[in-house]
Amino acid sequence: MPSSEVALLQNYLIVGAIVFGIGLLGFLARRNLIVMFLSAEMMLQGVSISLVAWSRYHNDWGGQLLVIFIITVAACEAAIALALVLMLFRRSGKLDAAIWNASREENIAEFKDIEIPEDREETSRFPHLTPAGRRPLVDEESQLYRPRV
Amino acid sequence: MSTAWLPLAATITSLSNFAREMVTSPFAWAVVLAFIGAWLLLPKGPRRGRRLGIAVSLASLALFGWIAPRIGGWLDGSVFLAMSALTIVAALATVTSRDPVYSAIWFGVVLLGTSSLFLYQGAQFLGVATVVVYAGAILVTFLFVLMLAQPEGHAYYDRISWEACVSAGTAAVFVGLMVGTVTRSFEAGSSQKPLQTAAVSAADRATGILHEEHVATLGARIYSQQLVAVEAAGVLLLAALVGAVAIVEQGKKTPAAPAGQSSLGGSSNA
Repeated sequence: MPSSEVALLQNYLIVGAIVFGIGLLGFLARRNLIVMFLSAEMMLQGVSISLVAWSRYHNDWGGQLLVIFIITVAACEAAIALALVLMLFRRSGKLDAAIWNASREENIAEFKDIEIPEDREETSRFPHLTPAGRRPLVDEESQLYRPRV
Repeated sequence: MSTAWLPLAATITSLSNFAREMVTSPFAWAVVLAFIGAWLLLPKGPRRGRRLGIAVSLASLALFGWIAPRIGGWLDGSVFLAMSALTIVAALATVTSRDPVYSAIWFGVVLLGTSSLFLYQGAQFLGVATVVVYAGAILVTFLFVLMLAQPEGHAYYDRISWEACVSAGTAAVFVGLMVGTVTRSFEAGSSQKPLQTAAVSAADRATGILHEEHVATLGARIYSQQLVAVEAAGVLLLAALVGAVAIVEQGKKTPAAPAGQSSLGGSSNA
Protein backbone atom coordinates (compact mmCIF):
# COMPACT_ATOMS: atom_id res chain seq x y z
CA MET A 1 0.00 0.00 0.00
CA PRO A 2 1.71 3.19 -1.16
CA SER A 3 0.32 5.57 1.46
CA SER A 4 1.60 3.51 4.40
CA GLU A 5 5.01 3.32 2.73
CA VAL A 6 5.05 7.11 2.46
CA ALA A 7 4.11 7.39 6.14
CA LEU A 8 6.91 4.98 7.06
CA LEU A 9 9.41 7.00 5.04
CA GLN A 10 8.25 10.25 6.66
CA ASN A 11 8.52 8.82 10.16
CA TYR A 12 12.03 7.53 9.52
CA LEU A 13 13.12 10.85 8.03
CA ILE A 14 11.78 12.66 11.11
CA VAL A 15 13.61 10.31 13.49
CA GLY A 16 16.80 10.62 11.45
CA ALA A 17 16.56 14.42 11.46
CA ILE A 18 16.03 14.51 15.24
CA VAL A 19 18.96 12.17 15.90
CA PHE A 20 21.15 14.26 13.59
CA GLY A 21 20.01 17.45 15.32
CA ILE A 22 20.84 16.06 18.77
CA GLY A 23 24.27 15.04 17.51
CA LEU A 24 24.72 18.58 16.15
CA LEU A 25 23.74 19.98 19.54
CA GLY A 26 26.29 17.79 21.29
CA PHE A 27 29.07 18.65 18.85
CA LEU A 28 28.41 22.38 19.18
CA ALA A 29 27.81 22.56 22.92
CA ARG A 30 29.99 19.98 24.66
CA ARG A 31 33.61 20.66 25.51
CA ASN A 32 34.86 17.16 26.21
CA LEU A 33 36.68 15.94 23.07
CA ILE A 34 35.44 12.37 23.44
CA VAL A 35 31.81 13.45 23.87
CA MET A 36 32.25 15.61 20.76
CA PHE A 37 33.35 12.55 18.79
CA LEU A 38 30.43 10.53 20.17
CA SER A 39 28.14 13.29 18.89
CA ALA A 40 29.75 13.13 15.45
CA GLU A 41 29.12 9.39 15.38
CA MET A 42 25.51 10.09 16.36
CA MET A 43 25.10 12.40 13.37
CA LEU A 44 26.28 9.52 11.17
CA GLN A 45 23.61 7.34 12.78
CA GLY A 46 20.92 9.88 11.91
CA VAL A 47 22.03 9.89 8.27
CA SER A 48 22.09 6.08 8.23
CA ILE A 49 18.47 5.94 9.44
CA SER A 50 17.39 8.21 6.58
CA LEU A 51 19.39 6.23 4.01
CA VAL A 52 17.87 2.92 5.06
CA ALA A 53 14.38 4.47 4.87
CA TRP A 54 15.01 5.74 1.32
CA SER A 55 16.42 2.36 0.39
CA ARG A 56 13.19 0.68 1.48
CA TYR A 57 10.99 3.30 -0.18
CA HIS A 58 12.65 3.10 -3.60
CA ASN A 59 13.28 -0.67 -3.41
CA ASP A 60 16.94 0.04 -4.11
CA TRP A 61 19.99 -1.49 -2.44
CA GLY A 62 22.06 1.68 -2.80
CA GLY A 63 21.04 3.14 0.55
CA GLN A 64 21.99 0.05 2.51
CA LEU A 65 25.28 -0.32 0.63
CA LEU A 66 26.12 3.29 1.44
CA VAL A 67 25.41 2.66 5.13
CA ILE A 68 27.94 -0.20 5.08
CA PHE A 69 30.57 2.23 3.80
CA ILE A 70 29.49 4.80 6.41
CA ILE A 71 30.20 2.21 9.12
CA THR A 72 33.63 1.55 7.56
CA VAL A 73 34.52 5.24 7.45
CA ALA A 74 33.24 5.68 11.02
CA ALA A 75 35.59 2.93 12.18
CA CYS A 76 38.55 4.65 10.47
CA GLU A 77 37.53 7.99 11.93
CA ALA A 78 37.26 6.53 15.42
CA ALA A 79 40.73 4.95 15.19
CA ILE A 80 42.44 8.15 14.03
CA ALA A 81 40.44 10.45 16.31
CA LEU A 82 41.04 8.39 19.43
CA ALA A 83 44.78 8.17 18.74
CA LEU A 84 44.86 11.96 18.34
CA VAL A 85 42.77 12.53 21.48
CA LEU A 86 45.06 10.25 23.50
CA MET A 87 48.12 12.13 22.28
CA LEU A 88 46.52 15.51 23.05
CA PHE A 89 45.58 14.25 26.50
CA ARG A 90 49.13 13.05 27.08
CA ARG A 91 50.46 16.53 26.33
CA SER A 92 47.92 18.61 28.23
CA GLY A 93 46.41 16.33 30.85
CA LYS A 94 42.92 17.42 29.86
CA LEU A 95 40.21 16.39 27.42
CA ASP A 96 39.07 20.02 27.15
CA ALA A 97 38.61 21.50 23.69
CA ALA A 98 39.25 25.01 25.05
CA ILE A 99 42.87 24.26 25.87
CA TRP A 100 43.79 24.42 22.18
CA ASN A 101 43.02 28.10 22.41
CA ALA A 102 46.71 28.28 23.31
CA SER A 103 47.60 27.79 19.63
CA ARG A 104 45.75 30.96 18.57
CA GLU A 105 47.31 33.81 16.59
CA GLU A 106 49.13 36.53 18.43
CA ASN A 107 46.62 39.33 17.90
CA ILE A 108 43.67 37.30 19.19
CA ALA A 109 42.57 37.73 22.77
CA GLU A 110 42.79 34.86 25.19
CA PHE A 111 39.61 32.91 25.84
CA LYS A 112 38.38 33.48 29.38
CA ASP A 113 36.28 30.79 31.04
CA ILE A 114 33.32 31.88 33.10
CA GLU A 115 33.46 31.04 36.77
CA ILE A 116 31.23 28.21 37.90
CA PRO A 117 30.94 26.94 41.45
CA GLU A 118 32.91 23.85 42.42
CA ASP A 119 31.14 20.53 42.18
CA ARG A 120 29.96 20.01 45.73
CA GLU A 121 30.16 16.68 47.49
CA GLU A 122 26.41 16.16 47.65
CA THR A 123 25.85 16.80 43.93
CA SER A 124 28.20 14.04 42.80
CA ARG A 125 27.30 11.55 45.47
CA PHE A 126 26.83 7.93 44.53
CA PRO A 127 23.85 6.00 45.88
CA HIS A 128 24.44 3.71 48.81
CA LEU A 129 22.28 1.11 50.48
CA THR A 130 20.90 1.90 53.91
CA PRO A 131 21.54 -0.97 56.33
CA ALA A 132 18.41 -2.92 57.13
CA GLY A 133 17.73 -5.40 59.94
CA ARG A 134 20.50 -6.36 62.35
CA ARG A 135 23.86 -7.96 61.97
CA PRO A 136 23.47 -11.72 62.31
CA LEU A 137 24.96 -13.36 65.37
CA VAL A 138 28.18 -15.11 64.52
CA ASP A 139 28.97 -18.44 66.12
CA GLU A 140 32.76 -18.25 66.27
CA GLU A 141 33.15 -21.87 67.25
CA SER A 142 31.39 -23.08 64.09
CA GLN A 143 33.44 -20.73 61.92
CA LEU A 144 36.72 -21.98 63.37
CA TYR A 145 35.66 -25.63 63.10
CA ARG A 146 37.45 -27.60 60.40
CA PRO A 147 36.74 -31.25 59.72
CA ARG A 148 39.74 -33.53 60.06
CA VAL A 149 41.40 -34.19 56.78
CA MET B 1 -2.11 59.93 1.68
CA SER B 2 -4.23 57.15 3.10
CA THR B 3 -3.25 54.70 0.35
CA ALA B 4 0.41 54.85 1.40
CA TRP B 5 -0.51 52.98 4.57
CA LEU B 6 -2.19 50.10 2.77
CA PRO B 7 0.96 47.95 2.25
CA LEU B 8 1.88 48.42 5.89
CA ALA B 9 -1.60 47.40 7.00
CA ALA B 10 -1.46 44.35 4.76
CA THR B 11 1.92 43.42 6.21
CA ILE B 12 0.61 43.78 9.74
CA THR B 13 -2.41 41.63 8.91
CA SER B 14 -0.30 38.91 7.36
CA LEU B 15 2.12 39.04 10.27
CA SER B 16 -0.71 38.67 12.77
CA ASN B 17 -2.14 35.81 10.74
CA PHE B 18 1.27 34.16 10.76
CA ALA B 19 1.56 34.66 14.52
CA ARG B 20 -1.89 33.19 15.08
CA GLU B 21 -1.01 30.20 12.93
CA MET B 22 2.25 29.70 14.85
CA VAL B 23 0.57 29.90 18.25
CA THR B 24 -2.04 27.32 17.30
CA SER B 25 0.30 24.92 15.46
CA PRO B 26 1.65 21.94 17.43
CA PHE B 27 4.72 21.93 15.17
CA ALA B 28 5.87 25.40 16.30
CA TRP B 29 5.29 24.44 19.92
CA ALA B 30 7.30 21.25 19.43
CA VAL B 31 10.28 23.23 18.10
CA VAL B 32 10.08 25.86 20.86
CA LEU B 33 9.80 23.18 23.55
CA ALA B 34 12.73 21.30 21.99
CA PHE B 35 14.83 24.46 22.24
CA ILE B 36 13.86 25.11 25.88
CA GLY B 37 14.33 21.47 26.88
CA ALA B 38 17.75 21.18 25.24
CA TRP B 39 18.86 24.47 26.80
CA LEU B 40 17.75 23.36 30.26
CA LEU B 41 19.37 19.95 29.91
CA LEU B 42 22.81 21.08 28.75
CA PRO B 43 25.37 21.33 31.56
CA LYS B 44 25.76 24.96 32.61
CA GLY B 45 27.61 24.77 35.91
CA PRO B 46 25.11 24.56 38.72
CA ARG B 47 22.59 21.76 38.47
CA ARG B 48 19.32 23.56 38.12
CA GLY B 49 16.28 22.79 36.03
CA ARG B 50 17.26 19.29 34.94
CA ARG B 51 13.92 17.77 35.88
CA LEU B 52 12.05 20.60 34.18
CA GLY B 53 14.31 20.08 31.14
CA ILE B 54 13.48 16.38 31.02
CA ALA B 55 9.75 17.13 31.27
CA VAL B 56 9.89 19.82 28.55
CA SER B 57 11.95 17.61 26.21
CA LEU B 58 9.54 14.71 26.65
CA ALA B 59 6.62 17.04 25.92
CA SER B 60 8.37 18.24 22.75
CA LEU B 61 9.04 14.65 21.72
CA ALA B 62 5.37 13.77 22.28
CA LEU B 63 4.35 16.71 20.07
CA PHE B 64 6.72 15.55 17.32
CA GLY B 65 5.15 12.10 17.64
CA TRP B 66 1.72 13.73 17.38
CA ILE B 67 2.46 15.59 14.14
CA ALA B 68 4.16 12.61 12.49
CA PRO B 69 1.84 10.57 10.23
CA ARG B 70 0.53 7.28 11.62
CA ILE B 71 1.91 4.06 10.20
CA GLY B 72 0.04 0.79 9.79
CA GLY B 73 -2.06 -0.70 12.60
CA TRP B 74 -1.77 0.15 16.28
CA LEU B 75 0.72 -2.67 16.94
CA ASP B 76 3.08 -1.57 14.15
CA GLY B 77 2.70 2.02 15.19
CA SER B 78 3.39 1.45 18.86
CA VAL B 79 6.41 -0.78 18.19
CA PHE B 80 7.86 1.90 15.92
CA LEU B 81 7.06 4.66 18.44
CA ALA B 82 8.75 2.73 21.25
CA MET B 83 11.91 2.14 19.19
CA SER B 84 12.20 5.72 18.00
CA ALA B 85 11.44 7.16 21.45
CA LEU B 86 14.15 4.94 22.95
CA THR B 87 16.64 6.11 20.31
CA ILE B 88 15.88 9.81 20.73
CA VAL B 89 15.76 9.82 24.53
CA ALA B 90 19.07 7.95 24.67
CA ALA B 91 20.56 10.38 22.15
CA LEU B 92 19.53 13.34 24.29
CA ALA B 93 20.95 11.65 27.38
CA THR B 94 24.24 11.04 25.51
CA VAL B 95 24.86 14.69 24.76
CA THR B 96 23.66 16.03 28.12
CA SER B 97 25.31 13.61 30.58
CA ARG B 98 27.91 15.25 32.77
CA ASP B 99 29.87 12.03 33.08
CA PRO B 100 31.46 10.99 29.74
CA VAL B 101 31.28 7.32 30.73
CA TYR B 102 27.50 7.64 31.03
CA SER B 103 27.54 9.39 27.65
CA ALA B 104 29.27 6.41 26.10
CA ILE B 105 26.84 3.95 27.70
CA TRP B 106 23.82 5.97 26.54
CA PHE B 107 25.37 5.98 23.06
CA GLY B 108 25.29 2.19 23.25
CA VAL B 109 21.52 2.44 23.84
CA VAL B 110 21.25 4.74 20.79
CA LEU B 111 23.03 2.08 18.74
CA LEU B 112 20.63 -0.62 19.94
CA GLY B 113 17.71 1.67 19.02
CA THR B 114 19.03 2.38 15.51
CA SER B 115 19.75 -1.30 15.02
CA SER B 116 16.12 -2.10 15.87
CA LEU B 117 14.98 0.64 13.46
CA PHE B 118 17.12 -0.97 10.73
CA LEU B 119 15.58 -4.37 11.46
CA TYR B 120 12.09 -2.85 11.24
CA GLN B 121 12.90 -1.70 7.69
CA GLY B 122 14.13 -5.17 6.74
CA ALA B 123 17.82 -4.22 6.77
CA GLN B 124 18.91 -7.33 8.64
CA PHE B 125 22.61 -7.18 7.86
CA LEU B 126 22.88 -3.55 8.90
CA GLY B 127 21.02 -4.20 12.15
CA VAL B 128 23.54 -6.89 13.07
CA ALA B 129 26.54 -4.93 11.79
CA THR B 130 25.58 -1.89 13.83
CA VAL B 131 25.56 -3.92 17.03
CA VAL B 132 28.72 -5.88 16.20
CA VAL B 133 30.88 -3.14 14.69
CA TYR B 134 29.61 -0.01 16.46
CA ALA B 135 28.58 -1.24 19.89
CA GLY B 136 31.06 -4.10 19.96
CA ALA B 137 34.17 -2.41 18.60
CA ILE B 138 33.94 1.37 18.24
CA LEU B 139 32.07 2.04 21.49
CA VAL B 140 34.36 -0.24 23.47
CA THR B 141 37.36 1.64 22.06
CA PHE B 142 35.76 4.90 23.18
CA LEU B 143 35.31 3.45 26.66
CA PHE B 144 38.94 2.29 26.71
CA VAL B 145 40.15 5.79 25.93
CA LEU B 146 37.78 7.28 28.49
CA MET B 147 39.08 4.96 31.16
CA LEU B 148 42.68 5.82 30.19
CA ALA B 149 42.15 9.56 30.02
CA GLN B 150 39.50 10.40 32.58
CA PRO B 151 40.64 12.37 35.60
CA GLU B 152 39.07 11.85 39.02
CA GLY B 153 35.60 13.26 39.59
CA HIS B 154 33.67 15.55 37.27
CA ALA B 155 36.02 17.79 35.32
CA TYR B 156 35.34 21.49 34.90
CA TYR B 157 34.85 21.11 31.16
CA ASP B 158 32.18 18.43 31.61
CA ARG B 159 30.03 20.73 33.72
CA ILE B 160 29.88 23.62 31.24
CA SER B 161 28.95 24.05 27.56
CA TRP B 162 29.91 26.37 24.74
CA GLU B 163 27.06 28.88 24.50
CA ALA B 164 24.29 26.50 25.59
CA CYS B 165 21.52 28.87 24.44
CA VAL B 166 22.89 29.41 20.91
CA SER B 167 23.71 25.72 20.43
CA ALA B 168 20.25 24.63 21.55
CA GLY B 169 18.70 27.23 19.24
CA THR B 170 20.75 26.05 16.27
CA ALA B 171 19.80 22.42 16.82
CA ALA B 172 16.11 23.29 17.35
CA VAL B 173 16.01 25.39 14.15
CA PHE B 174 17.69 22.59 12.20
CA VAL B 175 15.26 19.96 13.49
CA GLY B 176 12.32 22.30 12.87
CA LEU B 177 13.33 22.97 9.26
CA MET B 178 13.91 19.29 8.51
CA VAL B 179 10.72 18.04 10.16
CA GLY B 180 8.66 20.83 8.60
CA THR B 181 10.01 20.00 5.16
CA VAL B 182 9.41 16.29 5.59
CA THR B 183 5.84 16.61 6.91
CA ARG B 184 4.73 19.24 4.39
CA SER B 185 6.37 18.06 1.19
CA PHE B 186 4.28 14.88 1.06
CA GLU B 187 0.93 16.60 1.59
CA ALA B 188 -1.78 16.24 -1.05
CA GLY B 189 -1.50 19.73 -2.54
CA SER B 190 2.28 19.84 -2.55
CA SER B 191 4.49 19.96 -5.62
CA GLN B 192 6.33 16.79 -4.59
CA LYS B 193 4.00 14.46 -6.55
CA PRO B 194 6.78 12.35 -8.15
CA LEU B 195 7.74 10.96 -4.75
CA GLN B 196 4.26 9.61 -4.16
CA THR B 197 3.94 8.08 -7.60
CA ALA B 198 7.37 6.48 -7.32
CA ALA B 199 5.99 3.98 -4.80
CA VAL B 200 6.85 0.36 -5.52
CA SER B 201 4.39 -2.52 -5.35
CA ALA B 202 4.65 -5.05 -2.54
CA ALA B 203 5.51 -7.85 -4.98
CA ASP B 204 8.50 -5.88 -6.31
CA ARG B 205 9.72 -5.33 -2.76
CA ALA B 206 9.46 -9.02 -1.92
CA THR B 207 11.93 -9.81 -4.71
CA GLY B 208 13.97 -6.67 -4.10
CA ILE B 209 14.83 -5.06 -0.78
CA LEU B 210 12.74 -7.53 1.28
CA HIS B 211 14.22 -10.61 -0.41
CA GLU B 212 14.13 -13.78 1.70
CA GLU B 213 17.86 -14.31 1.28
CA HIS B 214 18.68 -10.81 2.38
CA VAL B 215 22.33 -11.17 3.35
CA ALA B 216 23.20 -13.28 0.28
CA THR B 217 21.61 -10.73 -2.05
CA LEU B 218 23.33 -7.83 -0.32
CA GLY B 219 26.66 -9.64 -0.48
CA ALA B 220 26.22 -10.40 -4.17
CA ARG B 221 25.51 -6.70 -4.79
CA ILE B 222 28.42 -5.43 -2.79
CA TYR B 223 30.97 -7.76 -4.36
CA SER B 224 29.78 -7.19 -7.94
CA GLN B 225 28.48 -3.64 -8.38
CA GLN B 226 30.50 -2.02 -5.62
CA LEU B 227 33.73 -4.01 -5.92
CA VAL B 228 35.91 -0.94 -6.52
CA ALA B 229 34.35 0.81 -3.54
CA VAL B 230 35.04 -2.24 -1.35
CA GLU B 231 38.69 -2.17 -2.38
CA ALA B 232 38.88 1.55 -1.70
CA ALA B 233 37.33 1.06 1.74
CA GLY B 234 39.91 -1.65 2.45
CA VAL B 235 42.72 0.73 1.52
CA LEU B 236 41.15 3.40 3.71
CA LEU B 237 41.03 1.04 6.69
CA LEU B 238 44.68 0.10 6.17
CA ALA B 239 45.66 3.76 5.89
CA ALA B 240 43.75 4.57 9.08
CA LEU B 241 45.52 1.73 10.90
CA VAL B 242 48.94 2.91 9.75
CA GLY B 243 48.01 6.49 10.58
CA ALA B 244 46.89 5.66 14.11
CA VAL B 245 50.14 3.78 14.79
CA ALA B 246 52.16 6.64 13.30
CA ILE B 247 50.39 9.22 15.47
CA VAL B 248 51.08 7.21 18.61
CA GLU B 249 54.73 6.62 17.67
CA GLN B 250 55.32 10.29 16.88
CA GLY B 251 53.54 11.34 20.07
CA LYS B 252 55.85 9.20 22.19
CA LYS B 253 58.86 11.26 21.08
CA THR B 254 57.47 14.51 22.48
CA PRO B 255 57.61 15.08 26.23
CA ALA B 256 54.50 14.32 28.21
CA ALA B 257 52.77 16.84 30.45
CA PRO B 258 54.33 17.47 33.88
CA ALA B 259 53.38 14.83 36.40
CA GLY B 260 51.25 17.19 38.47
CA GLN B 261 49.15 18.20 35.49
CA SER B 262 48.48 14.83 33.93
CA SER B 263 46.85 11.94 35.65
CA LEU B 264 48.70 9.57 33.33
CA GLY B 265 51.98 11.18 34.42
CA GLY B 266 54.46 8.51 35.34
CA SER B 267 52.61 5.56 33.89
CA SER B 268 52.89 6.76 30.29
CA ASN B 269 56.66 6.44 30.08
CA ALA B 270 56.56 2.76 29.22
